Amino acid sequence: MSKTYQAIVIGAGPAGSSAALIMARAGLDVALVERGTFPGEKNMFGGVLHRLPALEEIFPDFWDRAALGRHIVKKSVTFMTGDSSFSTTIEAGNFDTTPYNGYSIFRPRFDNWLAQEAVKAGATLITSATVDDLIYKDGKLAGVSIVGRHGELLAPVVIAADGVLSFIAKKAGLRQPTFDPGQMAVGVKALIDMPREMIDDRFGLVREQGFANEFVGCTTGVRGGGFLYTNYDSLSVGLVFHLASLRTSGKTPYDMLNAFMEQPQLAKMICGGKLQEYSAHLIPEGGYDMIPELVGDGILVAGDAAALCNATGLNLEGINLASQSGVLAGKAVIEAHQNKDFSKQGLSVYKKLLDESYVIKDLKMYRKAPHMLHNDRIYNEYPELMCSFMEYIYRINGAPKENLSKLFLKSAKEKIGLGNLLADGFSAWRAL
Amino acid sequence: MNIDEIFDNTSFTIDREAHIVLDYDICTGCDNRGCVNSCPARCYSWSEEDQKMTFVHDGCLECGTCYVVCHRNAFTRWRYPRGGFGVAYRMT
Repeated sequence: MSKTYQAIVIGAGPAGSSAALIMARAGLDVALVERGTFPGEKNMFGGVLHRLPALEEIFPDFWDRAALGRHIVKKSVTFMTGDSSFSTTIEAGNFDTTPYNGYSIFRPRFDNWLAQEAVKAGATLITSATVDDLIYKDGKLAGVSIVGRHGELLAPVVIAADGVLSFIAKKAGLRQPTFDPGQMAVGVKALIDMPREMIDDRFGLVREQGFANEFVGCTTGVRGGGFLYTNYDSLSVGLVFHLASLRTSGKTPYDMLNAFMEQPQLAKMICGGKLQEYSAHLIPEGGYDMIPELVGDGILVAGDAAALCNATGLNLEGINLASQSGVLAGKAVIEAHQNKDFSKQGLSVYKKLLDESYVIKDLKMYRKAPHMLHNDRIYNEYPELMCSFMEYIYRINGAPKENLSKLFLKSAKEKIGLGNLLADGFSAWRAL
Repeated sequence: MNIDEIFDNTSFTIDREAHIVLDYDICTGCDNRGCVNSCPARCYSWSEEDQKMTFVHDGCLECGTCYVVCHRNAFTRWRYPRGGFGVAYRMT
């Protein structure tokens, strides 16, 4: 048995569901195919959802309507060593008024909500369906087959929103056959149950307020970082590692996660909580240079599948870029249906729209950031320098003070080397 | 977090048919085996004594780390589990 649709979307994540939603609203008969038993079942991320301009356009009341958690009013960056930490915190009044700047969310809830909105608009959601391959008829893309199921899903156009490894983009010849571990990161996360009042008291939050904390120096020298985000009644705590660095380190993600959670300052934050869930996921961190061919005959690639992820070192954006690219891919398909042209040429408006949007503009702007972050000193020497310097500033022990700028230069020279300090400063300035 | 107790913390519906299949001869000849330490679910273990790789797909988090770090392409199959099987996150 085969079923025919006007478009097939592979993957009901933020990119796929956004695409399905906009196409269904335009009256297209869309199949949204998801390998999980429900959308979001397979998805994991750090934990903060940024503003989603593409969805705010579709739902003016998006922020009241979506399945969200606490809104983030307080953000900290912490430089950490084995026994010390130095944090900077911003808590802004503006972060506490709508439209909020970011939320902690659970993917199994948020992604499911978004997919159900696509269903309400008329899309057909097909779950527990892992797409096996693309089907070609008469030399043209004609649909997809599903692992372990007979029959096929047919459509003249497919949107590959099948996530970071995108086997569909590979099958269509749109991405390189192998990935460079230097362009990928893996995130591991522990979900820690904690009573809501305890979280509010511990992190200084009221009402629906949330806290986000990013960490550098907590990955025992492996390139990467850590995070802690507050949910209503749980904490998301995790680490992200660059794969090339992780591979050669010989260290394991779970041992480093344990060491992070046992670091004295972090241990106090999560004390009294109980581990509920452990998860892992890849992140495409290669930036602009990692983006595959976005359009082929009868096919478009969106979201993580298209490596649309912006890791600048300060922010880590992905879901917003995914949903934006999904909406634009959907618009291109709507236009292709009007023109009855599903060739690469007919779909190429997607690339044009994407180039004009903040997605590609931001990725271009931060094109050098991935390279800058491939610097081992950021993950070891700099956090140590920050912590020891701050410790010195605040230590009062009867010894006469040294000139602070001289002292800073002296310790920077010792730990990093002045040439490296200048080079790193220049590289950061160029990248950001 | 004890990785040995992954099944106490994370839900899986295990498929008898493995979604990842290795050509172990390639692993034996590998000089890197970054999969062993990089896999966040410890699905890979290398026995120095037997010069043999063991892979268990049961606790696989489907993250793709092994697929990216393996530079020998030791996989005779690497796909996601068929629909309805594999890891099931509840609140991540």
